[in-house]
Amino acid sequence: MLDSPALDAARSTGTTPLRLVRAEIMKIRTTSTWWLFLIGFTVFTALALTSNGFSHHFQLYPQQDIPDRAQALAQAAQARTPSGVAAIAASMMTSGQFLGVLFVLLLGILVVTNEFAHQTATATFLTVPRRAAVIMAKLAATACFGALFWLVATVLDGVVTAFYLHSQHVSTPLTGWTVVRSVLLNLLAFVLWAVFGLGLGTLIRSQVGSIIAGIVVYLGGLAAAELLFHAIYYFYREGWVLGAPVIAPSVAATVMITPGRAFPHAPPQWAGLAVMVGYALVLTVGGIVLTLRRDVP
Amino acid sequence: MVVLLAVLVLGGLAWLAWRKAGNNTSALAGDVSLRPLGRPSGGRSIPAGQLPGGRIVASGLTKQYQDVKAVDGLSFVAEPGRVTGFLGPNGAGKTTTLRMLLGLAEPTAGTATVGGVRYADLDQPVRRVGAVLEAGAAHKGRSGRDHLRVLCQEAGLPLARADEVLELTGLTAVGDRAFGRYSLGMRQRLAVAAALLGDPQVLILDEPGNGLDPEGIRWMRDLLRTLAARGRTILVSSHQLPEMELLADDLIIIAGGRLAAMGSLGSVVDSMARGGRTLVRTPEAEKLAAALGSHAVVTPGDAGELYVTGVDAAAIGDAAQRAGIAIHQLTTERPDLEAVFIELTAGKAAIR
Repeated sequence: MLDSPALDAARSTGTTPLRLVRAEIMKIRTTSTWWLFLIGFTVFTALALTSNGFSHHFQLYPQQDIPDRAQALAQAAQARTPSGVAAIAASMMTSGQFLGVLFVLLLGILVVTNEFAHQTATATFLTVPRRAAVIMAKLAATACFGALFWLVATVLDGVVTAFYLHSQHVSTPLTGWTVVRSVLLNLLAFVLWAVFGLGLGTLIRSQVGSIIAGIVVYLGGLAAAELLFHAIYYFYREGWVLGAPVIAPSVAATVMITPGRAFPHAPPQWAGLAVMVGYALVLTVGGIVLTLRRDVP
Repeated sequence: MVVLLAVLVLGGLAWLAWRKAGNNTSALAGDVSLRPLGRPSGGRSIPAGQLPGGRIVASGLTKQYQDVKAVDGLSFVAEPGRVTGFLGPNGAGKTTTLRMLLGLAEPTAGTATVGGVRYADLDQPVRRVGAVLEAGAAHKGRSGRDHLRVLCQEAGLPLARADEVLELTGLTAVGDRAFGRYSLGMRQRLAVAAALLGDPQVLILDEPGNGLDPEGIRWMRDLLRTLAARGRTILVSSHQLPEMELLADDLIIIAGGRLAAMGSLGSVVDSMARGGRTLVRTPEAEKLAAALGSHAVVTPGDAGELYVTGVDAAAIGDAAQRAGIAIHQLTTERPDLEAVFIELTAGKAAIR
């Protein structure tokens, strides 16, 4: 009754970390969440491409009847210089980022909180009692899916951008550094926000709780930080106060992906990167410590 | 120049030594470390009745939650080759105890080991211990087969093993159905299937009969009895006392987080039999009552029979013979498991 050809034939199945990462990827693949997210994500990316396309069109070809036409024409001339076209191409090539990273943020949250919402954490931690290894595998799998979403967006953006530039009678190599740098920074944003979501889900086990926290931090963080530090600036008229909103993750991400200064008094690009990496690290390490100390519910 | 050469040679040697050490440890992690625990490397063919390392030992196990002591200095043993029933009223600490045994909850004090090793320290735990905890524990949108395949992948077992345990638990036909559409009985079977993935030598089950129909209960009983007959250690918690009388070899009864009784099914029931009563039918009831002396308490029944406590059947028979009283029936009424259980746990079952 209990004879098992499969177990008898069992051989070593590779190193443990890779095995666990593959298991986590399998968990994501075997439910419908990821492709529903991917469809929604693709739709939003297409919308963002359309909207970006129109706005850059009016940048290149100002309307006849706008009030400040002289300034618009000067901006159009600037936009048609090689560096201007490259900037437009870079903007087109990262279309869909704003809501796209929200999708990977939510996916990261679900990767952890699903285990508690569906009570599979018990089976998972029975199979792999080393809980930190499980969280690290989830982190790797989540980063992979963040990169996958980025890849899908980049392919879609690339195809559309090539046709778009042609249709606007401007041209720039899509392999130029300005474009490639933006696309790579975009990848960084996708991966870091995915890890951010994972860390958040590990800290806040409640699915609803961590989803709300994630959305509030992502969408509300920007406005809240601006408001807070402008209020502080009202009392302390120091330049660094206006750069301080970088401690909010959304602001840090914006600073990170913007070459040069993202806004007046903004700290340098690496500061944004450091803050984002810091959040991802602190959340994940904190989550691992909590997971090790708390009993599995 | 010479110094540089020496550094290079030494560095090379150190690197080789380091690599060798690294290889050794990785080999240990794979097969060799299983040997001390009595398992042939890679294989699973263990002679029936000989499963060293399958003994479950809890000693001084304690779990203190903020305001309640769910488990209080609990010690017990479950032996290989036997089905050990783990009984207790609601809130007695059964589930907490099992979760501590499985490394899911951290004991406040005391230890729990399987084959002398804490669960968390087991190498390839799935191949040593299988556990059935909650029946509702899979992603609603994932198929039963995928649920098992994920666990195989996680445990490093071949994915084909998922199909084998589906077959074993009679779920092959619904393997591709989403877990959310499983009946309670199917969910319980899937939980058993997951526990059997690594063909473990120890099986720990928390209320596995919940939601099963009579046929399912019989299937579960046969499965567990077969596994025990093959030398596996089976620790199964339950409320279903009549089922336990059919299934268990040994019993552990807890109440209020503490051990109330432990031993073979027979010995636990017998230990309470001294408090049992003897049914006597005799035409001369008053005469017998007088003959029994002051130790005996005689209570008349509804249909002319007498219930005697305080003296056993042999003493009643001897007294009757000495007094020349005819005895028509003399029956020792042993308490059943339910009566023993109620007696052992009475007053300790209050919601804490």
